[in-house]
Amino acid sequence: MEEIKENYDLTPRVAPNLDRHLVFPILEFLQERQLYPDEQILKFKIELLNQTNMVDYAMDIHKSLYHTEDAPQDMVERRAEVVARLKSLEEAAAPLVSFLLNPNAVQELRADKQYNLQMLKERYQIGPDQIEALYQYAKFQFECGNYTGAADYLYQYRTLCSNLERSLSALWGKLASEILMQNWDIALEELNRLKEIIDSKSFSSPLNQVQNRIWLMHWGLYIFFNHDNGRTQIIDLFNQDKYLNAIQTSAPHLLRYLATAFIVNKRRRPQLKEFIKVIQQEHYSYKDPIIEFLACVFVNYDFDGAQKKMKECEEVIVNDPFLGKRVEDGNFSTVPLRDEFLENARLFIFETYCKIHQRIDMGVLAEKLNLNYEEAERWIVNLIRTSKLDAKIDSESGTVIMEPTQPNVHEQLINHTKGLSGRTYKLVNQLLEHTQAQATR
Amino acid sequence: LFDHQSGSDDSEYESDVEEDLDDVQDTNVGGASRYLAGGSDSEDEELRKRVVQPAKDKRFEEMVSTVDQMKHAININDWVRLQEYFDKINKQLEKVMRITEAVKAPILYIKTLVMLEDFLNETLANKEAKKKMSTSNSKALNSMKQRLKKNNKLYEEEINKYRQSPETEEVKESDDADTEDDDIDDCVFVDTESEDEEADDKGDPSWEKMLSKKDKLMEKLYSKDPKEITWEWVNQKFKEVVAARGRKGTARFELVDQLTHLTRIAKTPAQKLEILFSVISAQFDVNPGLSGHMPINVWKKCVNNMLTILDILVKYDNIVVDDTVEPDEDETSKPEDFDGKIRVWGNLVAFVERIDTEFFKSLQCIDPHTREYVERLRDEPMFLALAQNIQDYFERSGDYKAAAKVALRQVELIYYKPQEVYDAMRKLAELVVEEDEEEDSEEPKEETGPPSSFIVVPEVVPRKPTFPESSRAMMDVLVSLIYKYGDERTKARAMICDIYHHALVDNFVTARDLLLMSHLQDNIQHMDISTQILFNRSMAQLGLCAFRVGMITEAHSCLSELYSGQRVRELLAQGVSQSRYHEKTPEQERLERRQQMPYHMHINLELLEAVQLICAMLLEVPNMAANSHDVKRKVISKNFRRLLEISERQAFTAPPENVRDHAMAATRALTKGDFLKAFEVVKSLDVWKLFKNRETILDIVKDRIKEEALRTYLFTYSASYESLSLDQLAKMFDLSENQVHSIVSKMMINEELHASWDQPTRCIIFHDVQHTRLQTLAFQLTEKLAVLAESNERAMEARTGGGGLDLSSRGRDNNQEYAGGAGGGKWQDNMSYNQGRQGYNGGARSGYGGNRSSGHARDWSGQNRGSGGYAGRGGTGNRGMQMDGTSRMVSLNRGVRA
Repeated sequence: MEEIKENYDLTPRVAPNLDRHLVFPILEFLQERQLYPDEQILKFKIELLNQTNMVDYAMDIHKSLYHTEDAPQDMVERRAEVVARLKSLEEAAAPLVSFLLNPNAVQELRADKQYNLQMLKERYQIGPDQIEALYQYAKFQFECGNYTGAADYLYQYRTLCSNLERSLSALWGKLASEILMQNWDIALEELNRLKEIIDSKSFSSPLNQVQNRIWLMHWGLYIFFNHDNGRTQIIDLFNQDKYLNAIQTSAPHLLRYLATAFIVNKRRRPQLKEFIKVIQQEHYSYKDPIIEFLACVFVNYDFDGAQKKMKECEEVIVNDPFLGKRVEDGNFSTVPLRDEFLENARLFIFETYCKIHQRIDMGVLAEKLNLNYEEAERWIVNLIRTSKLDAKIDSESGTVIMEPTQPNVHEQLINHTKGLSGRTYKLVNQLLEHTQAQATR
Repeated sequence: LFDHQSGSDDSEYESDVEEDLDDVQDTNVGGASRYLAGGSDSEDEELRKRVVQPAKDKRFEEMVSTVDQMKHAININDWVRLQEYFDKINKQLEKVMRITEAVKAPILYIKTLVMLEDFLNETLANKEAKKKMSTSNSKALNSMKQRLKKNNKLYEEEINKYRQSPETEEVKESDDADTEDDDIDDCVFVDTESEDEEADDKGDPSWEKMLSKKDKLMEKLYSKDPKEITWEWVNQKFKEVVAARGRKGTARFELVDQLTHLTRIAKTPAQKLEILFSVISAQFDVNPGLSGHMPINVWKKCVNNMLTILDILVKYDNIVVDDTVEPDEDETSKPEDFDGKIRVWGNLVAFVERIDTEFFKSLQCIDPHTREYVERLRDEPMFLALAQNIQDYFERSGDYKAAAKVALRQVELIYYKPQEVYDAMRKLAELVVEEDEEEDSEEPKEETGPPSSFIVVPEVVPRKPTFPESSRAMMDVLVSLIYKYGDERTKARAMICDIYHHALVDNFVTARDLLLMSHLQDNIQHMDISTQILFNRSMAQLGLCAFRVGMITEAHSCLSELYSGQRVRELLAQGVSQSRYHEKTPEQERLERRQQMPYHMHINLELLEAVQLICAMLLEVPNMAANSHDVKRKVISKNFRRLLEISERQAFTAPPENVRDHAMAATRALTKGDFLKAFEVVKSLDVWKLFKNRETILDIVKDRIKEEALRTYLFTYSASYESLSLDQLAKMFDLSENQVHSIVSKMMINEELHASWDQPTRCIIFHDVQHTRLQTLAFQLTEKLAVLAESNERAMEARTGGGGLDLSSRGRDNNQEYAGGAGGGKWQDNMSYNQGRQGYNGGARSGYGGNRSSGHARDWSGQNRGSGGYAGRGGTGNRGMQMDGTSRMVSLNRGVRA
């Protein structure tokens, strides 16, 4: 257990790249998994909450942590302070909020931002100050844990805001709110919007931009492993050059998620080869069972090693807040990703194994696949039937025999020479053109 | 013969005469009569010239007399007259030039100009005197100012030359005495000089005279009653002494002495500071040439003076050193408790840099095998102490840019030191300071003679450098400061030093990442030569580091370029290699010598070569075995192939002696799959003792040799086997079964080996894909066809595409010069991580088209994708890699020619 905690728990590396509020789900998960003592997590939670305005929640935790009924004095004071501030902000934002609550008035808004601002100013006396107040109010709402309200206000704010920086931070806020409300579809939209802005915006320094990308990827983890299409999306995002670079420079631990996505996702198999190269370079800077598994299968061809790694991978997945999501199914809960991962990993091993073998003993194969003999046979027969594997089973000797696939010499020769005639033809044409041009000159 | 005795010592002339003798063949005719007959051409010429001489002399004499008059005018400060004489001398100059047909103005004239200019500046500076002038006089002064400025512009170069080295100029002039004119010039010059002195003697006790009579001045300086000394007096004396600087006949050492004395009697700290600056400048002047170095004792004094300056600056923090604004005349008269800033002209950074440069130069010049060299090296902590203090001062005063520059100087002293050497330096630094303290305590006794100084500055600044425990820590601190505040060049140099140091402490990954992140490989071509050398050196170090951590491929790609042109010494600035093909001009040689690294910074070339060759061997031997049918196609290391060819051509192979022989012997063994012998040969090299952890490194090498032997064996003999068992292979190559399995599997997947495992019997079954003779020939034919088509296309391109061929052939000859300007980052590709090099595919490469496709170019499309690109990687598709062609190593000659 200790070992797992030390080696595979990424929370300390992930958390600094997240918003305070986004850390809570992770802490909840850790609490559930019992990796750390409860007290430690509760203390950590309070520490987190101290910087936010969720004072009530903090009080509750405090009570359960120290088993008392009294909240400490400073928390009570802080609560009063927060309430007062909320009031004042509410007042400041009131004109705009009331305007937005009025459906008739909202209909007057058009797509044209300039027009809207003009209109608001003339007819409702709402100027930049009020709009700014809305932002502050939304931010405060977010910090109080009222994500729905924050998301709504931030959405409205963005339609009215003219400051680019502010708009960006509003977008971050919106994304966080949507993630926390688990609206994965909307969150994904927001994520893509943010990505576009980050990619197109000119940052004061490249470092800044990289940092923004890192944040985006970390936040995206929530979405990708919950959204239906997330596993393709994560590859599409992380595997872009710019983002891969960012991962390599600043956050190699993200490779775990990318590797997992690659293993469970069949659709992005062509890019896997490239990814293996990245892994080879990065194995100096970051170690992870999932990555080591890939290295075993595709770099070292160490199938026994891969076998061992698979077991470690299972541990990692179950204990990872993003990967180890549980689905309650009747009485017992499963981790869908784990099953998927194991199935695919097995396939990986088998495929590669077959590629370099001519004859394999079924018993050994079954062992390698973590299956019993019967299951293994069924599994292979299925593969052969779906023509995924060009092989035959020799049940007398209990072996699988691969069909040799040798390239035809004739074909090779034709391939080599195919281009020649075209090239020559082109060359002659070029020559003719040239001589004609010379003649006319 | 009369001619011989007549004292003409011109040997050419003699031989002429002898020839004449042969020609005439008349022994009856006496020498004298022949002389009269004008038999000798050269004699004739001489005669003609002698006739001309008086006319020239006359012109010169006129000029000399004008100069005399001018001097007189200067003495009595008469600008009206001076103006007239100036016109006169200009007219005379025209005449003289016409007669002598000289291109350059005579030295006398230049000297006069310099004299005039100095006097003008002197007068302008002296405001009181200016006020006293009569109106006509001051009017003339102003017009002279304008005209002199205009006039001097024409002769700017000569004047500067003269100012820099009045004496060498003369010597040169007389050395050049290939024409008669110069002789005259010279003799006239000598004349004027004597007259010059006479004039001085005759003249009033002017300031000029005081200069020539230094003793008197010194006497005055020393004997002056301390009570009488005022600020004004010191200032005046200071001005006088400084004015003499760079003037002919001023002994440089004495100048320093005078100034040093002045620092003692300076009245205010600011004044002391100002004078100290001049002392240091004067100390720099002690050795005027570019090639020599500053005498070591002067250097030490110079450092001490700098420390004193710092003491003053730290103690009186209202004094500011600045070289952008011209301070007021009496700025330095402000007392120490003056409320507000006192500005003193000076540039501390420039001084520090100069001191460091002198230190470096001295190490370049001193023979490294002498005790003197070691002694000199011991002065390093002294400089580091100074640099640290200055850096501190700058940081405190908020001038981070300057601090970064000083930090760079420190980095450049530290970066090449492994931890052991660094520790030694730390210990030394402590020892040295103790010694110094002893010396210090003696010093005051000696100084009792001259009056003790008015401004006593206690040693505020520590005289001892402080070092962190590890050299890495020190580097980190300095380098991060530089990255934050340095300018481009400073940053680039610091980065390279950082890389070097990381490589030195076996931090290959960090060093590599730094190199790639900084995009240095792309920009290094545009930097100055010394930075390019530094870059080459850090590449070499990086290669050694990669080898030490067992990354053979990476090591090879770092080093192969260094060895591609057989100019390692030059590229690393560790000696000069002679090239057969082009002679170097003396200028080039001098330039190169100035770039040389001092001995203690050298990278061991034998070690480097051994590492390079062994890496090449490990990569090339299996590669050759794999492509045995057409060896020429895939060449990894051209240099290695060439050496191998040479060694194969020998009829008898002697036991290995040098590094190269060893590598070749090992290669021969490895080709046969005899890993034991190969390793024994490699192990017997004595350069390995230079590695710290020799055993582990040799183990790594041994493992690699085994692996490559296995691969070579399989490539070579697979055709002879139907099947091979795993245990047998493992036993043969002393590898574990897992390792063999992994290696063989890898070969199968990469389709290098046409075989597959038979799992139940643990055997490799070889597929019979050996082509028949006919098939092989057919393949060869197709390949030749492809080559033909390609060469046709190239020929076509050359005709239509406007000189493509021309470029390519030139590119091949000069690829050192072009030095990969097109950005074909070989080792990047090789190490399979590319950075974004959007410009890479641009037009700049087209010139290399021919070169690239000349049979060695290939696309490692599988290999060229990588990480480490930190600015995005564009165009993954067609990044080809160049095996030969543009070398990325930086060439020295390029810089010289450019």
